[in-house]
Amino acid sequence: MAEQTWLRQYVILERAALRAQLQYRVNFWTTLMGGIAYQGTQLLFLGVLLGKFGLIGGWGFSEVAFVFAMRLASHALYVVPFGSLRLTDEMVRDGEFDRVLLRPVNPFLQLVTRMFPLMSLGDALLGCGALVVFGWQAPIDWTPAKIGYLILAVIGGGLVETGIQTFFCGLSFVATSTFSLRIFADSSITQFSGYPLTMFGRATFYAFCTIFPMAFISFLPATVLLGRTSDVPLPAWLTTLSPLAGTVVFVLGYTFFTKMMPRYTSPGS
Amino acid sequence: MSTAEQVRAFRGMTRAGTRSVLIYRGDLITGAVTLVIQVVLAIAVWRIVYSGRGPVDGVDARTAVAYAAIAACLQSVLLPWQFSSLPMRIRNGQIATDLTRPLGLIWQVFGQNLGVLLGRLPLGAIGLAAAAVLGALTLPPSWAAGLLSLVATVGGVMVAMLCNLIVSMVTFWTFEVGGPLIVYRFGSAFLSGSLIPLWFMPGWLRASVEWLPFQAQVYTPVSIYLGQTRGGQALALVAIQLVWVVLLTVLLELIWRRARYRVVVQGG
Repeated sequence: MAEQTWLRQYVILERAALRAQLQYRVNFWTTLMGGIAYQGTQLLFLGVLLGKFGLIGGWGFSEVAFVFAMRLASHALYVVPFGSLRLTDEMVRDGEFDRVLLRPVNPFLQLVTRMFPLMSLGDALLGCGALVVFGWQAPIDWTPAKIGYLILAVIGGGLVETGIQTFFCGLSFVATSTFSLRIFADSSITQFSGYPLTMFGRATFYAFCTIFPMAFISFLPATVLLGRTSDVPLPAWLTTLSPLAGTVVFVLGYTFFTKMMPRYTSPGS
Repeated sequence: MSTAEQVRAFRGMTRAGTRSVLIYRGDLITGAVTLVIQVVLAIAVWRIVYSGRGPVDGVDARTAVAYAAIAACLQSVLLPWQFSSLPMRIRNGQIATDLTRPLGLIWQVFGQNLGVLLGRLPLGAIGLAAAAVLGALTLPPSWAAGLLSLVATVGGVMVAMLCNLIVSMVTFWTFEVGGPLIVYRFGSAFLSGSLIPLWFMPGWLRASVEWLPFQAQVYTPVSIYLGQTRGGQALALVAIQLVWVVLLTVLLELIWRRARYRVVVQGG
């Protein structure tokens, strides 16, 4: 095994996982639609709300929709390669994690390739589409530098979400069930990270930058692209560096994961 | 099996369902905390959206905020992520044992789902308490409206349970039900009016939503409670709930009749 790089291992395992998932045809199509329905309803919600009220926290539809698109594209970058992390809980509870520990492949890699998250393909489709459409409509004069920054921001956002979920995986080694926490993280990011987060007040905003670093996923880099960094109670240079947060959050999450793994005890033993 | 025995068996399934929720204390506590946070944020969003604005479409800020809070709590009770153990039972072949039990399969699943719902009631209550502390709740305009909204809540619960059961039944054909469940969950989150009340939907959307069973789950009870739908109109909404209960029961029976011949015992 030693001669195979982790990337090659990842490709082999993920391909097997995808094949396993494609057995169930109807599920494939409905899951794909599920991904689109999940995020689509959120967009529909923003559309109806802004259609009726015009502005939220001083931001119009073209701006909010752009933040939404950035978030969705980031989300796809988490969920396509890393989405099966959410199954860790179940594996720890059923004792299936025993098998992971017996195999000569990095446990994190095995968790990530446990099952191919089909739904994520819907997210990816909608995310890319939305980014093109709403990026076009947003009040931004696109330059190559800005496009480069957008790509970095989307990758960073994906890493923030991956880092948070990896942290929960570490937590599941000591807690019986982290299901609610995971769903909470997922639905809070889905429902609220599209808003101009400063509208919730300073204290809540700072919480979104630290305890639950949702602000880095799309809001902070979006203010840079939209030229609205003055809305944010942070120095402009710090806001501009926000795509880097992804790496920081992921490293923290992964470190926690590896620290907690030895504390796994097989159920029933 | 006599009726009394069947009732006892049904109650046993319900208790088991409730226990399956209550046993994961940690999860329940985080569930409550996270529902509170979501209620707080939803209230904040609607207050900010309205900030200083008068009534929109005849709905004032107070009503819109109360609607958002109550709908979020109701939805968390009616549409949990892990609702029924039926898909899992079909997948791992346990369905074979379930089918030989003296209580019919539909009643077993129905009892278990009802149990899960009862187990999650305290969560909804905590969410409502948080909304009350934040001054986001209002009282119904009259006793009659309060009572009717209670009836409508029961109707909403029945429609939601029937819909949940029908979606779970899809597993008999597809084995995997993750996809249909998610389409259903998010479709109904929007279509039931739990994300945004029907008052604010553009005409074409509202007209389509009114033809679907989902509005009965959340919109009907909450809009009656808040006095936004009154008198004859409110009664009509409750009557529509009843029609849906009948239609969905018939549909469930039809699906179950066909599903019986589709049972494949995996691993058997």
